[in-house]
Amino acid sequence: MSAPARERRPRAGARSQLRRIAPLLLLALGVAALLTAQGMGLGELTAPGPGLWPAVVAALLTGTAAALLFLDPAEDYEAWTAGTARIAAGLVGLALFVVLFVAIGFIIPTFLLLTAWLRFFGDESWRMALVLGVAGALLLHLVFVIALGVPFPAGPVDQLLGG
Amino acid sequence: MGIFDGIVQGFSVALDPVNLLYVFVGVLIGTVIGVLPGLGPTATIALLLPLTYTIEPATAVILLAGIYYGSMYGGTITSVLLRLPGEAASVVTTFDGYQMAKQGRAGPALGIAAVGSFVGGILSVLGLMLLAPPLADLAVTFGPPEYVALTALGILLVTYLGTGTPLKSLAMAALGLLLATVGQDPITGTGRFTFGQVALFDGVDFVAVAMGLFGVGEILHSLERTEKVQAVTRGIRNIWPTRKDFRDSSGAIARGSVLGFVIGVLPGGGGVISSLASYALEKRRAKDPSRFGRGAIEGVAGPETANNASSTSAFIPLLTLGIPANVVLALIFGALLVQGVTPGPQLISQEPEIFWGVIASMVIGNVMLLALNIPLVGVFVQLLRVRTGILAAFALVVTMAGVFSVNNDSFDMWVVLVFGVVGWLMKKTGFEPGPLVLAFVLGEIMERAFRQSMLLSNGNLDIFVTRPLSGGLLAVMALVVVASILTARKRRTAFRHVDPEREVEAGAEPTEPTPGRANRPTPDTTDADVPSSSGER
Repeated sequence: MSAPARERRPRAGARSQLRRIAPLLLLALGVAALLTAQGMGLGELTAPGPGLWPAVVAALLTGTAAALLFLDPAEDYEAWTAGTARIAAGLVGLALFVVLFVAIGFIIPTFLLLTAWLRFFGDESWRMALVLGVAGALLLHLVFVIALGVPFPAGPVDQLLGG
Repeated sequence: MGIFDGIVQGFSVALDPVNLLYVFVGVLIGTVIGVLPGLGPTATIALLLPLTYTIEPATAVILLAGIYYGSMYGGTITSVLLRLPGEAASVVTTFDGYQMAKQGRAGPALGIAAVGSFVGGILSVLGLMLLAPPLADLAVTFGPPEYVALTALGILLVTYLGTGTPLKSLAMAALGLLLATVGQDPITGTGRFTFGQVALFDGVDFVAVAMGLFGVGEILHSLERTEKVQAVTRGIRNIWPTRKDFRDSSGAIARGSVLGFVIGVLPGGGGVISSLASYALEKRRAKDPSRFGRGAIEGVAGPETANNASSTSAFIPLLTLGIPANVVLALIFGALLVQGVTPGPQLISQEPEIFWGVIASMVIGNVMLLALNIPLVGVFVQLLRVRTGILAAFALVVTMAGVFSVNNDSFDMWVVLVFGVVGWLMKKTGFEPGPLVLAFVLGEIMERAFRQSMLLSNGNLDIFVTRPLSGGLLAVMALVVVASILTARKRRTAFRHVDPEREVEAGAEPTEPTPGRANRPTPDTTDADVPSSSGER
């Protein structure tokens, strides 16, 4: 997207801190990678060690991150909004999905995730969310397990459906 | 093998019933996701990557290519009718296309865009046929130093030609290169950055990274936006443009084809840049530039032609040099690598069925798209009734199930989640995921070539400068850096030049448009959340 579009974004106080955090994180990552690479052994240019290339790349990251500390245009940053809380909730939901998926298979977690997501983030009615959740879970089970033969972890419902 | 034999072989591959089905599925999916705002070609291809592993390599590329150029057609529809670009390359089409729709000329706008896309696509396929084989012959003579220079040039051009801040894109490219080093050292086998995790010994999975950054990251980002966008879905009559429309836009289509082709070949080029460039060119050439932004048909025809032409010619560097020119091509590159096919100069001679088959499928795909788009626009418009929340929920589950199916390993699901968060944070902080993914894909090639060069030259860095080809490429790189520093301010004004703000002020529009960030309330019925479509090229 073009630069002028960003300049029109609403200003917010929180952004000034965020502005420093992003390059600082990259800088820390770059320095850490540089040190790790050194530990792996740089070797010589005639006989490059495993750490040489990572060190070169980490140096590039460190350099650009350091420059960004001073040269980063502030208008690139979006303000934090109340919507950010929704993201955290969405992430927790997804993490829960993965945990449940490993424990009890595909169908039930998929039904739960679809229904919850549609109701709370999609603003669908409970009825719509439940119908789409059940239909979606069954359909995707058909596609992935029956048609594509993906070996999802076994769960309590799978015996009933086969596959 | 001559070009003629190649074409014959290509059509025999592309006309195979299975491949014919996949071309059709590809262009149909492409059109559909082009219409649906928020789901661009990058996210879709990332989502579908796991499904391509079970099919033949040629068929996989035919499918993915179809999605890519199909989305270039589909993106037009929402740009014209709703002033929301369905994918990023159609941003400029909103300027004049929407004005034409308001004047009751939505039909001709869509018609000329489809015809232009078709002409641009076909001309670009012809160029690809003629240019790719000699380029591949030249590339066979490339040694490791040339590959280092070429990959470096590719990454550099992506960071400079992209729409973000070059320095930030460069930082992301460095991060991508660093990520590519996770796992075993390709030469000595030593584990690097694995932190003792067995799952990391083979490196971070490309599919998981791409799906996280583009798929989950995009969906998370859209969660924050609560604005509702109203869509216009009034009837569209008279799709076929008048003879005068054709006369007015034939020059724009011809120029757009050439411009799009050239920009597509350049690393970092592709949809957005080519359509912006074409719009700027048409506006500058026009006798009366003030018509632009008020429904000038050239402003629709040129950019739409250019973005489709560029989406085809972008395959040239991938199929001849093994260097993906943009993010979408990087994903296709990744799909081929997982299939055990390494795109490069040998591809045309060793895997002719992939090269010629894909090219022939593009001809067929473009014919299908023309046939689909002209009579069926009304049907595609109905897709806008699908609410974004439903789309997002299903896309998430498909992402998770899909990434699991690649290695049958739940670890990759966590990788997707982590990169989803990273992708969202990058969007928030103005870092582009494109250069990261491209550098991640190129990282291994670059490291290997760099170390081979060092062995060739006994550790002498001169090898990159003294060989004519790699030296020449490095000189081009130096030129790009110098030129971009000198013209940094001009570039900003160039982007401002095609900014719709002025046009819209002239058209007395009540809302405030932001290109690429598609959140514009427009009157009438239907509701749809519209996440941004930036980041795709």
